[in-house]
Amino acid sequence: MKLHPLSVVYRTGTAVARFAWVLVIGVFSTSQLDGLGAGAFALLAVAVLAVFAYQVVYVRRFDYELTPGTFDLRSGVVSRRTREIPYRRVQNVDVSRNVLQRAFGIAELRIETAGGGETEAQLRYVSDDEADRIQREIGRLKRGVSEGETDPEPETTDELFAITARELLLLGVVRVDLRLLSFVTVLLPIVIPSVSETFPLLDLYRAAPVVLGGLVAVALVVSSVTAVANYYGFELHRGTDELRYQRGLLQEYSGTIPLDKVQSVSVTENALARRLGYASLEVETAGYAPGGNGEGSQSAVPLARRERVFDLARSVEHFGEVSFQRPPRRARTRYAVRYSLVVAFLTAVSVAVVRFTAISPPIPALSPLALLVVVPVAAHLKWANLGYALAEDHFVAREGFWTRTTRVVPYYRVQTLVESATAFQRRRDLATLVVDTAGSQGFGANDARALDIDADRANELRRELEGRFQSALAETRAANEGRRRRRRSSARGSTPADD
Amino acid sequence: MSDEPVEPAIRPVGERDAEPAVRRVDPDDGTAEPAGEDELPPVSELTGPERRLDPRVRYQWALGAVIGAGVVGAIAAVIGLFLFDDPVTFGGGAFGLLAAVGLVLVVFRYRVWRYEVRTDSLFLERGVVTRVRTVVPYVRIQHVDVSRGPVERTLGLASVVVYTAGSRGADVTIPGVTPERADDLQARLKQLAIVAEGEDAV
Repeated sequence: MKLHPLSVVYRTGTAVARFAWVLVIGVFSTSQLDGLGAGAFALLAVAVLAVFAYQVVYVRRFDYELTPGTFDLRSGVVSRRTREIPYRRVQNVDVSRNVLQRAFGIAELRIETAGGGETEAQLRYVSDDEADRIQREIGRLKRGVSEGETDPEPETTDELFAITARELLLLGVVRVDLRLLSFVTVLLPIVIPSVSETFPLLDLYRAAPVVLGGLVAVALVVSSVTAVANYYGFELHRGTDELRYQRGLLQEYSGTIPLDKVQSVSVTENALARRLGYASLEVETAGYAPGGNGEGSQSAVPLARRERVFDLARSVEHFGEVSFQRPPRRARTRYAVRYSLVVAFLTAVSVAVVRFTAISPPIPALSPLALLVVVPVAAHLKWANLGYALAEDHFVAREGFWTRTTRVVPYYRVQTLVESATAFQRRRDLATLVVDTAGSQGFGANDARALDIDADRANELRRELEGRFQSALAETRAANEGRRRRRRSSARGSTPADD
Repeated sequence: MSDEPVEPAIRPVGERDAEPAVRRVDPDDGTAEPAGEDELPPVSELTGPERRLDPRVRYQWALGAVIGAGVVGAIAAVIGLFLFDDPVTFGGGAFGLLAAVGLVLVVFRYRVWRYEVRTDSLFLERGVVTRVRTVVPYVRIQHVDVSRGPVERTLGLASVVVYTAGSRGADVTIPGVTPERADDLQARLKQLAIVAEGEDAV
């Protein structure tokens, strides 16, 4: 199969646009010299033609095919590359189209497999219908239904979730990024003294709340616009073996999340969302986090009522009701000590600044000590939000006050178990157990863990989890073997099973 | 420091893996394994008792600690020279202190380090300041490397690196094993991974 003919035009356009600044500089600098202008334009025309010719060849020499067992790809103008991707290894099939692509009726399709940060196959560009067809076909072929053959389990899609306007607007509020604000708050006391000679100090202190208020408003607008642009029309469907989502206002995305490749499910609720009773759901496969173009856009469900989110999470991974076990109380003492040390450090810095520099803030140098009041509260909140649970088939761990994340890892998906105890933890007889899965989020960022639990309990839990992993493995293997045997006996004489 | 006596009592003497006991696994359920995989020894032949690292690994670590201390010492010497016009006390002091701490840590690190090739998983215990115990089920092993850096080659040592698909990647390294032992370990882990049928590593 070939790419869509219009992709030549679009590809040329984007390639030229990428080098537009070179052309602009070229044209401007040469137009200063009389007589060279025409030459420059000729050169430009030649360059655009060359790019066009290259794209024509690229598109002509790009070929893909859906064979019964693999997705084949032949590409390359100078060096040719042939690639075969077994359907079983496909993690995600994603389609995206921006405004311009939609006007052209074309779409970009990406196929992701596990391992490597790189996209395995990228079709730039195919027609809308073709993208849709490939997405469906791959889903179908993955289930072992060969082309032409009728699907024994015909495709059914149930709508699981569709975002409402209210949720979309709330998403903007909940996702507001106040990092800029904290940066400004730190910067303000440093800037104010240096400008206080030109402006009266009092006015600036009075202006500060207005400035901060303005910043919050700007952040709110930015976050709302981003939320609407990214998640407008968000819908989640359940197919036979996969989840399908689509979203986006200007740039549309649609993709598949294969249920048999799900490594972990996590429910995230920040302090604000929790207060309002909302949460978001993330489903992680080993390929990458779906739609993973930057932070925060990888949710399976961006925002919904908390109960709804947990129901959806349970429909992906069937973990029942869980009752969390908290770490022992001495863990809380540990956090109190840690936060007190932070306060002590801040006070020391403040004292040192006042002592050794010309900055003289209107509050006493020892005032950070006042933060000691909130230390017990913070320690308690950190402790109270921690928890882990052993469900029937899943390990569930919860942590975080500002952003509380509940991670659900099937025992079957465990990669490694890491039990660790720092010198400070050992002093209090505590340890941490990390349950590592084949995530895509890079270095342990997304691991489920039981933080600061009793050292003996951690040891016990490690053995327990290992045992449960091995039995889950044996169970899955038996189930797979049974399925394979059934398939083999039903397809006797025709095409052999793909493995 | 380096002439601390080796404790041979804990190291297992019997090298069970000296002769490769090859035995056929009977294909009992009709699903015959492809050729080449049927010469796997039983799991019990592949596993082993808890082991410690080769004592020579202490020289490797000690060298690392001394070099690290040397770098910091040199920086301290420069600072000392500019601030107090006294590079020797500063540089020497920093070097001495760090080297001493580093060497003590080396001794303890060696004492703590343990690994065990168990029936279903590889188990490691290590770390002085942070004690870490790692379990790597064989099914999850993607591949196993044996690496030998220049220092390791001089000392006649090697490292075994076990890769999983986990987000912690190459976190599982067993340093300080003899090259023969490393090759043997690599072969065993490979066979154990095959026995465990890692058909669904991800």
